[in-house]
Amino acid sequence: MKKIKIGIPYSLYFYEYYPLWKEFLTRLGAEVILSQPTNKKILDLGIRSALSEICLPVKIFYGHVLSLTDQADCILIPRMVCIEKGAFFCPKMIGLPDMVKSSLSSLCPMVSPIIDVRQSYGSWKNSLFQVGQLITDNSVNISRAFSVSWENFQNNYLTNLLDPNVLRLDNSRKNSQKISKQYDDMPINIAVLGHDYLINDSYINLDLIQKLKKMNVNVLTPEMVHPNTIKKQLKKLYKPIFWSLSRRVVGAAFYYFEKQVEGVIHLTSFECGEDSMVGELIHHQSQQYPAVSFTEFVFDEHTGEAGINTRIEAFLDMIRRKKRYEIGFAPTW
Amino acid sequence: MKLALPRLGNIDVINETIISDMGHELIETPPNTKKTMDSGVRYSPEYCCLPLKIALGNMIETLDLGAEGLIMAGGWGPCRFGYYAQVQRDVLLDLGYNFKMIILELPRKESLKTLWDNINLLRNGKSWFYMINQYRFSWQQILLMEELEKNSLQVRPREKKRGAASRILSESLIRIKHAKDQKTLEQIKKETMSQFDDMTNFHKKDLIRVAMVGEFYVSLEPFSNHHLEEKLGYLGVEVVRKNSIEAWIAPIMKLHIFKESFKEEEEIEKAAYQYLAHSVGGEGQTTVGNVVLAHREDLDGAIQVVPFTCMPEIVAETILKKVSEDLDFPTLTLTYDEQTGEEGLNTRIEAFIDLLKMRRRKGVKVS
Repeated sequence: MKKIKIGIPYSLYFYEYYPLWKEFLTRLGAEVILSQPTNKKILDLGIRSALSEICLPVKIFYGHVLSLTDQADCILIPRMVCIEKGAFFCPKMIGLPDMVKSSLSSLCPMVSPIIDVRQSYGSWKNSLFQVGQLITDNSVNISRAFSVSWENFQNNYLTNLLDPNVLRLDNSRKNSQKISKQYDDMPINIAVLGHDYLINDSYINLDLIQKLKKMNVNVLTPEMVHPNTIKKQLKKLYKPIFWSLSRRVVGAAFYYFEKQVEGVIHLTSFECGEDSMVGELIHHQSQQYPAVSFTEFVFDEHTGEAGINTRIEAFLDMIRRKKRYEIGFAPTW
Repeated sequence: MKLALPRLGNIDVINETIISDMGHELIETPPNTKKTMDSGVRYSPEYCCLPLKIALGNMIETLDLGAEGLIMAGGWGPCRFGYYAQVQRDVLLDLGYNFKMIILELPRKESLKTLWDNINLLRNGKSWFYMINQYRFSWQQILLMEELEKNSLQVRPREKKRGAASRILSESLIRIKHAKDQKTLEQIKKETMSQFDDMTNFHKKDLIRVAMVGEFYVSLEPFSNHHLEEKLGYLGVEVVRKNSIEAWIAPIMKLHIFKESFKEEEEIEKAAYQYLAHSVGGEGQTTVGNVVLAHREDLDGAIQVVPFTCMPEIVAETILKKVSEDLDFPTLTLTYDEQTGEEGLNTRIEAFIDLLKMRRRKGVKVS
């Protein structure tokens, strides 16, 4: 029998959940087709087909979906509603399948299971089961595939063992257990905060991470902070944040502030609703830590690099000068 | 304590009932002006939506007048509104104001005590019975206010003298504000209705009817939508406003489970299901549902009002394109931000209304 080809857009929440879906689907005998990393063509496709007011990551998601249409038999677009108590995904991700359906007319069939752990029909198990039934009728196989892939996903998620196929940067948690110890080896620690799909997509963020590394910066990201630490940090807030994706960003920001890293860069995309609020919270908190320099980069569909280069250089120069001054190397005229 | 309530359309009718009569000192929020907007925009995060900015402007103005406590509603997402009060509080504290933010929202386990404290603060030592009565009465005031507003929308395109509907409405609202009991409210209702009737030209029957859907604040606050309802009214269009404070609060507070509004909500959800199968927070799904219902109710078109960057409404806007295509039902999306230029808006509205009139004349829509 011919294998069913399921397309997965390399975008948005798949930066986090791709390993789970991939293992589950391949175990059931489907072929998983991942779209290319974001490139000019995908961006253009997305911008052309999406409403101009949608945020950049969703436009790019459109592009990925379109680029998959002629390769795959169906495309997986889960409706992510809620994965933990008291927190939701962004409205645009909740409405994503409907948005894609209504603005893209020539589209191959779409599979959109609901992930909503508050409801029994929306639990991970039931949702994946539904998808599994499209591939095979053997429910024992589906259950087995789910439990194995779920377990692997959980283990990898917590210990963050890196697999080259996993969509993560290579600089994750491994090389930065204790930030403070690294002051001697690495001249500057900079925390780059933002959603997965901004930090890991080197096309949107204009290769920011590599650029920073080349400038001898130890880049720290939210994924490097343990979930429990994040939970603890979030208690500082007056009211819990009700967006799952932003929880990690805010928790990590507070943690890095407390650890007094030299600089914090908050990446946001133009028109991102969560970031507009969360950015303000982080900014407010940053004022309590004058030793930590804080800046915010907003990305949109413009791809001019010079502006961002200048800003990075200026930011790093400022930090280096401050450091030199603190150590006493600065001329004292 | 000197308390103030940010503006939301004509919500200030309840100011006296829930603030002055409870023994607090009332700081009236000044009407929204360019200045309100400017000070709000100046201190808000740049990409926040418009309601946050205007409300922040309101807060700054009332704090300058000496307010010590600000009453604000909250929520639990996924719409940004749930976090407004926190961000506004942070911004105002940074500006050096000293005040208490009194947030009224459905409690979660950890915020139960905060809510209890807030309610006690508002109760101000008065008896529970008195407080509940006052709030019940304020609810009646809101209901009457909305009823009159909705009536004025029907009167305005038919009025004998330009501006009559708005004048009668604003006079009645002041009376509602000062009313102390149910009897007075009924009296006001009767008198206003007869005033409306006097001013209505009943010969005008076949007017263009347009549904106004979209985000809650922008559709209720005339300042933020550049007096869209009046503009449409003077163009001879009957506006059917789909959003209301009643429909917003009643389901949350379970105020009338057995009444119609609960059913209405279900119906809207059902209508939207085909296009948007899940609630996306805010009024996203409601907007889609209302447009489908407006089509069924044989209205001529729908105007969606959206504050710039609103997340749920962008989802709805994307989907409305498809709805409009499928049902052959004209919709217009107006996005509002802090720009106050009106001509562009006027042109778009007029063009849209012309389109609707043309469709009627050609008999695309049989009414």
